[in-house]
Amino acid sequence: MAFFDLKGLLSPVTGLKQFGKKPHTIMFPDVAEHASDRYRGLHFNKLEDCIGCGNCSTICMNEAIDMIQIAGYEGKKGDSGLRPRVDNGRCCWCALCVEVCPTGSLNLTKDYIFVTPDANDFLWTPGIDNKEKGEENISFYSDKETSLSDYSRVPMRELDGDVRIQSFAEAVLGYNEEEARKEASRCISCGLCTESCPDHMHIPEYINAIARENDEDALRIIYDNNPLPEMCGKVCTRRCEDVCAMTHRGDAIAIRWLKRYATETAKNAEIIKEIVNPEIKEANGKKISIIGAGPSGLTAGYYLALRGFDVTIYEAKAKAGGMTFYGIPKYRLPAESLEKQVGYMQSIGVKINFNTRVGKDIDFKEIYNNSDAVFMGVGFEKPWTLGITGEDLNGSLQAVTYLDVINGGGDMEIGDKVAVIGGGNVAIDAARVARRKGADVTIVYRRRVEDMPADWEEIEGAEDEGVHIMPQGIPIEVIGDKNGKVTGLKFARAEMIPDPDGGRPRPKQIEGSEEIMEVTSVIGAIGQEGDYSFIPDDMKNQIKIERGRFVVDENKQTTLPKLFAGGDSANRTADAISAIADGFRAVKAIEKMLMK
Amino acid sequence: MREKTTTLYLGPQHPGITGNMMVKLQVQGDTVVKAETHVGYLHRGFEKLMERRNWLQSFTIVCRICVPEPDPNEENYSRAVEEIEGREVPERAKYIRVMTLELARIATYLLWYGGQSGSAGLYTMGQWSVGDRNYILDLFEDLTGGRIYHMYIWPGGVRRDLPKGFKDKALRTMDYIEKRLDDYDKLLFENSIFQKRAKGVGIIDKKKAVEWGVVGPPLRGCGIKSDVRIDDPYEVYDKLDFEVPAMEGGDVWTRALIRRFEIRQSINLVRQALDKMPGGEYYNKIPNPHKWTIPAGDAFVKTESARGEFGYYMVSDGGNKPRRVHVKGPAYVHGVSLLENLLEGENIADVSFIMNSLGTCPPEIER
Amino acid sequence: MSENKLNKEQLLLDLLKKKFILNESAVRRAKRVEVKVDPKEIIPVLLYAKENSRYISFAHMSCVDWIEDGEFEVVYILWNPEDKINLFVKTRISRDNGVLPNIDFIWRQANTYEREIREMFGIQFEGLVGRQEFILEDWEHMPPMRRDFDTAEFVKKTYFKRPGREDAKDVREFVQERTDEELPDFAKKYSRD
Repeated sequence: MAFFDLKGLLSPVTGLKQFGKKPHTIMFPDVAEHASDRYRGLHFNKLEDCIGCGNCSTICMNEAIDMIQIAGYEGKKGDSGLRPRVDNGRCCWCALCVEVCPTGSLNLTKDYIFVTPDANDFLWTPGIDNKEKGEENISFYSDKETSLSDYSRVPMRELDGDVRIQSFAEAVLGYNEEEARKEASRCISCGLCTESCPDHMHIPEYINAIARENDEDALRIIYDNNPLPEMCGKVCTRRCEDVCAMTHRGDAIAIRWLKRYATETAKNAEIIKEIVNPEIKEANGKKISIIGAGPSGLTAGYYLALRGFDVTIYEAKAKAGGMTFYGIPKYRLPAESLEKQVGYMQSIGVKINFNTRVGKDIDFKEIYNNSDAVFMGVGFEKPWTLGITGEDLNGSLQAVTYLDVINGGGDMEIGDKVAVIGGGNVAIDAARVARRKGADVTIVYRRRVEDMPADWEEIEGAEDEGVHIMPQGIPIEVIGDKNGKVTGLKFARAEMIPDPDGGRPRPKQIEGSEEIMEVTSVIGAIGQEGDYSFIPDDMKNQIKIERGRFVVDENKQTTLPKLFAGGDSANRTADAISAIADGFRAVKAIEKMLMK
Repeated sequence: MREKTTTLYLGPQHPGITGNMMVKLQVQGDTVVKAETHVGYLHRGFEKLMERRNWLQSFTIVCRICVPEPDPNEENYSRAVEEIEGREVPERAKYIRVMTLELARIATYLLWYGGQSGSAGLYTMGQWSVGDRNYILDLFEDLTGGRIYHMYIWPGGVRRDLPKGFKDKALRTMDYIEKRLDDYDKLLFENSIFQKRAKGVGIIDKKKAVEWGVVGPPLRGCGIKSDVRIDDPYEVYDKLDFEVPAMEGGDVWTRALIRRFEIRQSINLVRQALDKMPGGEYYNKIPNPHKWTIPAGDAFVKTESARGEFGYYMVSDGGNKPRRVHVKGPAYVHGVSLLENLLEGENIADVSFIMNSLGTCPPEIER
Repeated sequence: MSENKLNKEQLLLDLLKKKFILNESAVRRAKRVEVKVDPKEIIPVLLYAKENSRYISFAHMSCVDWIEDGEFEVVYILWNPEDKINLFVKTRISRDNGVLPNIDFIWRQANTYEREIREMFGIQFEGLVGRQEFILEDWEHMPPMRRDFDTAEFVKKTYFKRPGREDAKDVREFVQERTDEELPDFAKKYSRD
């Protein structure tokens, strides 16, 4: 290379041509750099949509997100009431919190300029500290497609409708291991569901145990406060699933089916005992009597027995389970399943006197006086009648009576065309049982299908099996022939009137819309009430009963100190899990009362 | 004439533009007689941190191992997870990944222009190239939501699909950069100052280079055609048409020329990836990250970064957190044993010049 | 991947099998061959691979702490630039006083890896020359990459928490308090962490 490399000297000088060109830089702050549509800037949280599940806080690998209480946001079922606060000094804007937010309330914004002389200011609550600025500038968000929450439930396998109606075989087949693991792994373990469960079962823990392939631990966790989990796993009203964080944008975790999976891994009572292996306290000499072997009575009996109490349950019928045995059809809850669970309870020392109706076979007062405490889980046995003409005709019957007979192993003539009146689970049960008995079944319900209190899976199941549903039909009269046999149901169509107070719309009969449906029987399923005639009058005076239910305090204690009550005859929710919760709570109160 | 040996500490405050490290030099006059590298100023314990974070959380850490070019880390992490788990990646995602990696390579080379010329005292070049790099960062911002740390390539695919109008904007930017490269040539490669500084400096012996595990442009600058994209093709590199340059020489000048060629290859690759990109899914969704477990196993994956082969050795014990993630950056070899060897006999003024040409990057030595 | 395509890989494996006592070996996939050997076989295997099988390039060296087994697994990853194959040579040594041979006379840059593994895991390499301190300066605790070094515990002891975040609540516990749910201790390990 020559010392004077002319090209090498002149070429760089061509850079001078850049003079006079428009600069690439901008004059900040006169011209603000506009962030892109996907920019990951400061957080914004739509506080109303947020449910305080804390998933953002747990995924944050910098531990930058705290869940804190905020004035004006009280917790309720399905909402912890807590809201995320971000330490912007720790945040790295990876936006994983956005990707895992089940409701999509948490987003990142285009706003990225935040200057403060006080380091403490970096601690701020998205949605409060950038209320206006945030909402307008949302840029990085997750929708159902991009979200890392898995919104689709593993479908439950079941028999086809036309196969189901051939027999009383269990319709739902249950998850297999692979399905259960997959479904369990969807759960984000927030635990908001536990508040909705009347019994406050440890849902996230047992689901996590299933996800981690430890079914035995799952069963142990379940048995901690529910001694009838297999029954719940099959027929629970599962309020937990209503508030599942996933419901905000997808399917709730199949909590009920997962519980069912965990309990079914124990094939018989001995195996349950082996797995749960409960600690049974030494006998403490206290005697507890329980009236009714329904869910609440059995629960109280089981946990009292574990705590060393001498427990005797008096049951009027031949089988334990109460409504869960006599009310729920066998295709939903097979008899063996219930017997297995009751068998396990008996194996740890719960005594059940079957076919012993208190008030008839044994005196209530005697039980009361001979016990240190009495728990009543007597349920609602007496069905309500429709209160329309012709209800006393032959062929007009009540659903609970019908189910009671069928579940007890008997049969009842209903003919080949049946109308079931009501929209609750009992109505659906009666309809599906009648369908299995070969009848053509129509459910007549006053309101719309979406108003039906029955479980949506039950409604779908009924439809699959060919049950007709006639919504907005108001029964007027049961019509019979001269022999007093039902031949038809007269009903009218209803229109829905919006409730000015914001409640659910009410049905109003449309004038002149009366029709007659030809039927061989009419099954009423509009509710039941309690029968407390077993209590002698002088004691009844001391027990406060309101609107057909015992008045109890939070300890399930009635106005008679030694007397506790739970289940349908003491709560308004009328489901098995509330009964179990009542039983469990009464146990704690009885233990406290007697063992202090 | 015997000269007194003096100890000179270069760094740890950014010698050149390579990151915080210190080179302890024994000098006689202007000549280095012995060099010793001291790292430890950027040790953030990422590998240890990942032991306590689940598979998804760890993904957000790895990009921080390399500031100028975080994407090969994301790519390696994702590919290692996918290899152990057996997770399929949609075809479209593979093209998007390739495009992202090549964009990152261009951005890195533009930054290297700045570093290399800056350490030779030619500052204008750096102003230009780093300014132009911002246009690539704009693309990243549109694509990923972040300019420097993209956290975009993740196990199962990429995080978001291309935004609307991205292809046009990317192609326009490529055209612009390509045009600018001619300006760069005039300013840098045709500049006799640069030529005189670069030629014959920091020569790596060809045989030694292979044995020592030298990778990337320094190896190709010794005349050895070696590139992970060709030797062990990942994603869709085997479906794209490109050439890897190799030139004999082994000095700073050759390495600079290699990069000059490669940046053009990368522009071409971005165009090809955008052109051949199929439709369809861009992401094979992972399960709920809190409960995501990976079967036991291990994997060693490699990605060709702008500075050479980036390797990840990953081990899973079947749990929801990595057992071990071991990052092997190209600078692990270049920055310690090779650099110490290479600096002996060189001029003090050339130390950071050579470091820049090797692509010494302390954050990936100590992680 | 058809059998044919793995020919080179299988060939290497057969060769090594004939020559050395391998504890376990497999062609993992295309371009990946794995052998497990006893520590005393390390140098012969590596030398053989380098001199006779053209595995001339030393790509990586790593260590994994299998604390449950009381062992460290050290893996040497070699690269054959002609056949384009990565060879994994794995060996296990005891966690307590485990010693490995130094291999930096075969590949100079192994020195760097060995220094790091010595510092991070506490494995001694016989005859390794190099400054004790590599990445860590003035470190007085146990080698930090060992599994029993608890970073969370270390941080708790070493640094103080910045005040102002004490009001943070755990969602699960917060709801539990509201509902009087009593979570048994054995179930707590399944709670969200």
